[in-house]
Amino acid sequence: MRVLLAEDDADTAGFIDRALRELGHVVTHAATGDEALRLGNAETFDVIVLDRMMPVIDGIEVLKCWRAAGVATPVLMLTALGGIADRVSGLDAGADDYLVKPFAFAELAARLAALRRRPPISDVVTRVEVGDIALDALKRQVWRAGREIHLQPREFALLELLMRHAGKVVTRTMFLEQVWDFHFDPQTNIVETHLSRLRSKLKGDDEASDPIETLRGIGYRMRA
Amino acid sequence: MIRPLGSAAYRIAFTYSAAFGLAVMLLGAIVYVAADADFRRQQDIGLAVEARDLAAGYREKGLADLVEAIRVREQPSATNGYGYALFGRTGWRVAGALRTQRPAAGLGTITFIDPREGPDVARALATDLPGGYRLVVAQDTEDVERFDRTMLSLFGMAFGLIVLLGVGAALLLGSYLRRRLGRLSAPARAIVGGDLDRRMPVGAGHDEFDQLALALNAMLDRIAQLLENLRQVSSDVAHDLRTPLARLRGQLEAALEGPCESAAYRAGLERALAQSDDLLGLFAAILRISEIEGGAVKRTFARVDMTDLVIDLCDSFAPAIADGGRTLACDVASGLALNGDRELIAQALVNLLDNAQHHTPPGTRITVAAVGETASVRLTVADDGPGVAPPDRERITRRFVRLDSSRGAPGHGLGLNLVVAVAHVHGGAVAIDDNRPGLRVTMILPRLPK
Repeated sequence: MRVLLAEDDADTAGFIDRALRELGHVVTHAATGDEALRLGNAETFDVIVLDRMMPVIDGIEVLKCWRAAGVATPVLMLTALGGIADRVSGLDAGADDYLVKPFAFAELAARLAALRRRPPISDVVTRVEVGDIALDALKRQVWRAGREIHLQPREFALLELLMRHAGKVVTRTMFLEQVWDFHFDPQTNIVETHLSRLRSKLKGDDEASDPIETLRGIGYRMRA
Repeated sequence: MIRPLGSAAYRIAFTYSAAFGLAVMLLGAIVYVAADADFRRQQDIGLAVEARDLAAGYREKGLADLVEAIRVREQPSATNGYGYALFGRTGWRVAGALRTQRPAAGLGTITFIDPREGPDVARALATDLPGGYRLVVAQDTEDVERFDRTMLSLFGMAFGLIVLLGVGAALLLGSYLRRRLGRLSAPARAIVGGDLDRRMPVGAGHDEFDQLALALNAMLDRIAQLLENLRQVSSDVAHDLRTPLARLRGQLEAALEGPCESAAYRAGLERALAQSDDLLGLFAAILRISEIEGGAVKRTFARVDMTDLVIDLCDSFAPAIADGGRTLACDVASGLALNGDRELIAQALVNLLDNAQHHTPPGTRITVAAVGETASVRLTVADDGPGVAPPDRERITRRFVRLDSSRGAPGHGLGLNLVVAVAHVHGGAVAIDDNRPGLRVTMILPRLPK
């Protein structure tokens, strides 16, 4: 996919640029806020990685300009500012996701994949089907091969997130942020515990039928 | 020496006394005009009474009597100060010493010849009498003018005195204000100069200046507390990051010593990566605590449904705790709410649950309770594990304090410190007690009414 990478730090930009190209993406790099603003307005990208603190024009201002000009491209904001108020102001400016530096590249890649071409109505679609699993977000019901499976509310939320991003990686912090609204990392493995219960309920007696892949050190993926 | 006009204190005092002087001047002018008009009215009444008396005598006893009456009244011994003239039909003077032309009938101002001073002005009443006579009674206006002059000079003196007093009072008030304000600026300059422990002097009077000094001192205390917080964080970072950084360096060094591309090399790098993640976690925790202690999070406080939050966290953590071989039991009262930050309270409770697992053996029973009191919510996390000895209970809430018994457990010694910071920013407190057996940590937070 076409990625606009707006990042002023040459080392960080180089590392992200190389890694994204290795994944097969087309990367356009902007080193200043005004350059990013111009490129974002002039060209079409699938997703934009925007550093919050940019020279010439601040990242927040760039984002506000895009949104005011009708540029609806999903934006992932990168920042060294991890405070509660910083996150709120970033999301208020129109960012779709917010990632605090430093981060593992796998985390960035997973979040970019999740943002890409996110259909605007995806949150409104109430029935999702992946493979032989069907989920009704309104009735809070899940079926596998036509047989209903009873899930706890958290297990349901985990499955819904995985199914809405089927074929893409969902990281541990994405689960924590979107299922629990935690922007910190508890030492207790609540994600792993709930996922393992979800998996055993989905598998039933058939050990080989696990629809969820574990990508060690990266996250989880629903087989599409 | 400060120029008086350059000083707000003097400007205020001078403006005040100028306003006062102006008020006196206005009052004087009103009194002067009113008194002058009254005096002249009295004079007119006096003239009318005198003329009526003489006219009545004439009608009763005739012309000769009137001439005689005028002569008697013009005696030098007479004290009324009136002048008289009686004119006949054709304008010749019949009686009276007042040297003037025959005036028109009625009240008016006439010119007469004063035997001593020459031409002079007088107030006169000319009354027509039967037989074609015209009686003129007049009084010199000199008396009114003298009265006016006296009044003016008295007011002038009073005005001067008041302006003098006003300027004196203004100088006194100005210097008083300057002195009181000066007592505040001297410590302020000392604080700027580096003496951060200096405070504003507070008098016994509890007047406005003392109130201001108290407010400034409270502000300085708060700033000092924030500075201390910052200093503490810096020194924590300097001291306590050395150990994990040294470990990270050691890992990298050991990996470099082995052959490249070997399994040990890769494992060493992976451990180093884990070490740096751990270090970043430590950074995040320190920054989070100092953000909370800074108090800025209060700006986004909103209503938090505690019943909902605690039940939610219990549901999320019970399975993981059960998988770890411990049990979690929750007892949550309904209708608990407070004004705060949902995520911070969640993080505090999560830290307490993490602690209750990492510092206890498998088989431990962990209980979470949320109860409402009149003005507070009591949030308790208790376990029946080994507990903490009384002398250590206060110590464990401090930054980076880890008891020897928990050296093997994960964490940085910041968990309880964050719990305390969260409680404080919500206006609450933390109590650490003996659970007989085990440890009981209670967060007491101000409650919102139902």
